[in-house]
Amino acid sequence: MAQVEKFHYDNAIVRNFAYATMIWGLVGMLVGLIIALQLIFPQLNLGIAEVSYGRLRPLHTNAVIFAFVGNGIFTGVYYSLQRLLKARMFSKVLSNFHFWGWQAIIVSAAVTLPLGLTSSHEYAELEWPIDIAIALVWIAFGINMFGTLIKRRENHLYVAIWFYIATWVTVTVLHVGNNLELPVSAFKSYPVFAGVQDALIQWWYGHNAVAFFLTTPYLGLMYYFLPKAANRPVYSYKLSIIHFWALIFIYIWAGPHHLLYTSLPDWAQSLGTVFSVMLIAPSWGGMLNGLLTLRGAWDRVRQDPVLKFMVVAVTAYGMSTFEGPMLSVKSVNAISHFTDWTIGHVHIGALGWNGFLTFGMLYWLIPRLFNTKLHSEKLANTHFWIGTMGILFYAIPLYWAGWTQSLMWKEFTPDGFLKYGNFLETVTQILPMYAMRVVGGTLYLVGNIIMVYNLVKTVRSGSFISDEAAEAPALVSTHGVHKGEYWHRWVERRPVQMLLLATIAILIGGIIEIFPMVMIESNVPRIESVKPYTPLELAGRDMYIREGCLGCHSQMVRPFRSETERYGEYSKSGEYIYDRPFLWGSKRTGPDLQRVGGKYPDSWHFNHMLEPQSISPGSIMPPYPWMIRDELSLDILPKKIKALRTLGTPYPEGYEQIAIADAQKQAEQIAARLKKDGIELEGLEKKEIVAMIAYLQRLGTDIKPKAQATN
Amino acid sequence: MKLNYKTYLLPFALLAASGIQALAQDAAATTAAAPAAESNFYNTFLSNGILLFTAFVIVGAFIVMFRLLNVLIKMQQIQIYKEQGFEAFQEAQARPMENFWNNMYKRWTKVVPVEKEEDILFDHNYDGIKELDNSLPPWWVAMFYITIAFAGIYLFYFHVSGLGKSSKEQYEVEVKKAEVAIASFQAKQADKVDEENLVPLEKETDIAAGKTLFTTNCVACHGALGEGGVGPNMTDKFWIHGGEIKNIYQTIKNGVPEKGMIAWSNQLRPADMHRLASYILTLQGTNPPNGKAAEGTEYVPEAAAPPQDTTATPVEPTNSTGSGQ
Repeated sequence: MAQVEKFHYDNAIVRNFAYATMIWGLVGMLVGLIIALQLIFPQLNLGIAEVSYGRLRPLHTNAVIFAFVGNGIFTGVYYSLQRLLKARMFSKVLSNFHFWGWQAIIVSAAVTLPLGLTSSHEYAELEWPIDIAIALVWIAFGINMFGTLIKRRENHLYVAIWFYIATWVTVTVLHVGNNLELPVSAFKSYPVFAGVQDALIQWWYGHNAVAFFLTTPYLGLMYYFLPKAANRPVYSYKLSIIHFWALIFIYIWAGPHHLLYTSLPDWAQSLGTVFSVMLIAPSWGGMLNGLLTLRGAWDRVRQDPVLKFMVVAVTAYGMSTFEGPMLSVKSVNAISHFTDWTIGHVHIGALGWNGFLTFGMLYWLIPRLFNTKLHSEKLANTHFWIGTMGILFYAIPLYWAGWTQSLMWKEFTPDGFLKYGNFLETVTQILPMYAMRVVGGTLYLVGNIIMVYNLVKTVRSGSFISDEAAEAPALVSTHGVHKGEYWHRWVERRPVQMLLLATIAILIGGIIEIFPMVMIESNVPRIESVKPYTPLELAGRDMYIREGCLGCHSQMVRPFRSETERYGEYSKSGEYIYDRPFLWGSKRTGPDLQRVGGKYPDSWHFNHMLEPQSISPGSIMPPYPWMIRDELSLDILPKKIKALRTLGTPYPEGYEQIAIADAQKQAEQIAARLKKDGIELEGLEKKEIVAMIAYLQRLGTDIKPKAQATN
Repeated sequence: MKLNYKTYLLPFALLAASGIQALAQDAAATTAAAPAAESNFYNTFLSNGILLFTAFVIVGAFIVMFRLLNVLIKMQQIQIYKEQGFEAFQEAQARPMENFWNNMYKRWTKVVPVEKEEDILFDHNYDGIKELDNSLPPWWVAMFYITIAFAGIYLFYFHVSGLGKSSKEQYEVEVKKAEVAIASFQAKQADKVDEENLVPLEKETDIAAGKTLFTTNCVACHGALGEGGVGPNMTDKFWIHGGEIKNIYQTIKNGVPEKGMIAWSNQLRPADMHRLASYILTLQGTNPPNGKAAEGTEYVPEAAAPPQDTTATPVEPTNSTGSGQ
């Protein structure tokens, strides 16, 4: 028997992350509430660029995913990792670097996103300097984790740690893969891949952000905190093994289910569908192991708020991992995609699974860190019920809204016309559901505030144990023959091999899907008439990105009669080859814009941007007065043209020198047309709006004849 | 023991319903029926409704059979009571039901009861967390295999066998079906339009409807009184694409895309285009202010033109019984 060693767990880092989780949770949910209100009362956009919906939406998603859940992950990992390995964290410096670095990244996100500095890739909006910072901090976290793994005093790695390792390596790969971009300026870059390829890579990332940031680390946390809180053995070790490997291997393939019926080739769509369906069992393996671990402890679930939160969390996980595969079946997706059904679905996951597991963990953890009892069980129970009501009031109206709107989009009269030819009708119809959702969100936030109050009181009543004493025998040789043991024990003694195997498992799917898309030309058939954007259109396009237009408008007409009737010819992959980044969008709060070019006169767009409700009474689109007020900056155009040529857009050599003149010429033409329609404004041709109009009028016109006079 | 089967019928029905629905939707996606589903959603719901109903009938039939089986068992037990006395009867009564459900449960979960947990407890101990050696739940394993089989069949069907239609092919079928359905619907309508033998409508209501359509759709380019703007003047005798009702109808229907006039057949019913064309003819000779200069060639009607020289708004309801509606 090895000598017993004495050491201390670092609780300070855990406490810091726990505080950050609480604070950013409030912030993220508050921003969510604001944008939910903006959808019912567009006046709340205030006509101010920095607080308009399109810019705040990514702030909400980033704050909730990376700030709230992210800090939640680190809280749980730093606490459980030390105890599962019987070792103090490898480096205090790295821990602190990780903590402060992560908070700095969040703050920089909170500053840059409202400023409109965004790459527009959903959940990867942050621009390249912040991407680099994320990579550095993430690597520091990895070194810290593996350093601790190496100096561990426990022979075998527990299942929670397998999930942490898989999380770490996959997030690294995803983050790098989806942020391959060429910088143009300090806060502007263009992605290496364009159009349909960019779309595939983004959703390979986007889906696996859900998988490896919102799911696998939280499964790890569940595997630690749930048996601890319930004081029960984990139901099945074998199930842990099978569902872990199956989950990480299969998850990575499922990304294309975000692109069903788009111009992504059918073979890739089918892979997305079938791997999503195959995900049900591996996901449910986690749910089963969680719920069945509670066998024999169900009597305590009725009393203990920690267990209550965890049970709802695991159940929500089970529900959304069943719903997800169903939504990946093409005929269901035809209904759900672009609607609020998806929003409802993700919030079951976010509010139920991530939120409630975090709350359960904090209620369990904080009293232990401060060597005290929870201030009030009653308040925790109140939080539980308000939160549960909040989830229901949030999700059910959105499901309803999604179904209603989708059916309205698709309904025809027997004469063959769309029954609701005006998109706006389908929006005003669901506004009451949007209002209900605000009620749900408010309830959830109120519950969260109660928790923070409760935990602050708890902290005040206790005394913090910064360094918790522990002891364990030193690690004896981990290798050698172990007769009669379960085969998987071998890799559980070898963190590096575990890392390698996990890396292989998560690389296969991505490689098989992405390589053919970027290597084989026939996957993106060329269309002769598709030409690069003019400099002014490019400026307008980057403005479209800046304002987050894709938060509400898709640019992807799916091959359904209901869409071709409403919008025009369905989209072809060849149309997007110069789209860096792709802007297909994932939600239609407003109509699709892929074929909006030439549909309305320039003056229509001008007035619509200035005051949408003057053109479409009842519209919930925010106004964009600053586009009409602010001068367009063209100075960066030559750099943009050069960067895009480097990436493969066929601008002729030396074009950057005449790009500005070209843009000015086009701007003058548009300004002249606006003037003809009675829009009098000093220096109109120098305003941002002109570029935006140029871009919108170009959209989708490459493959259709100019349909309407531009007046 | 009295079994209340409403309680156990519900989950069964839900399961059956969701299963059938998913199947139906899948079938819809893979066969030519899909476009019909797209073209009219309530049709899909109707057909799914029939499937659902069928599912209920099947489930109902199972319940009846199960009930019958129970009756048979009861009769058997009564037989035992008669022949072997009360104690044997009690024993027999306790046996069959419990065994059936227990066996079912055991076979599909393979769970080791909490009391016997010690036997399957590993010597793992991670910060106090222990692990049990329960088997993979067989129902879970079965589900995993089924989804894997589904994946194989799906990929084979769509990408190997050549049977499954691509998204684009599905779309083409959908559009064709809709065209047929629309044509057959329109053929049955009272106000159907015979494009070959069009005559101007004269009923007041038709002209008024035509005027409304004109105000909604045409004034932006042709002026509030038809005096012309971006588009040509509608009140003079000169026409670019012909001044007969038939010509005007075709111009509205197909548009003049190269000059910026869209094809209105995508937005207006044939009968409405007919009304609109009829209204436009009433504008002849109204001579509104700011009339755009004449374009095209002069059109001289073969028959006598309708007597409308005075005002822009149509008057003279000539109650002809044969026209429209």
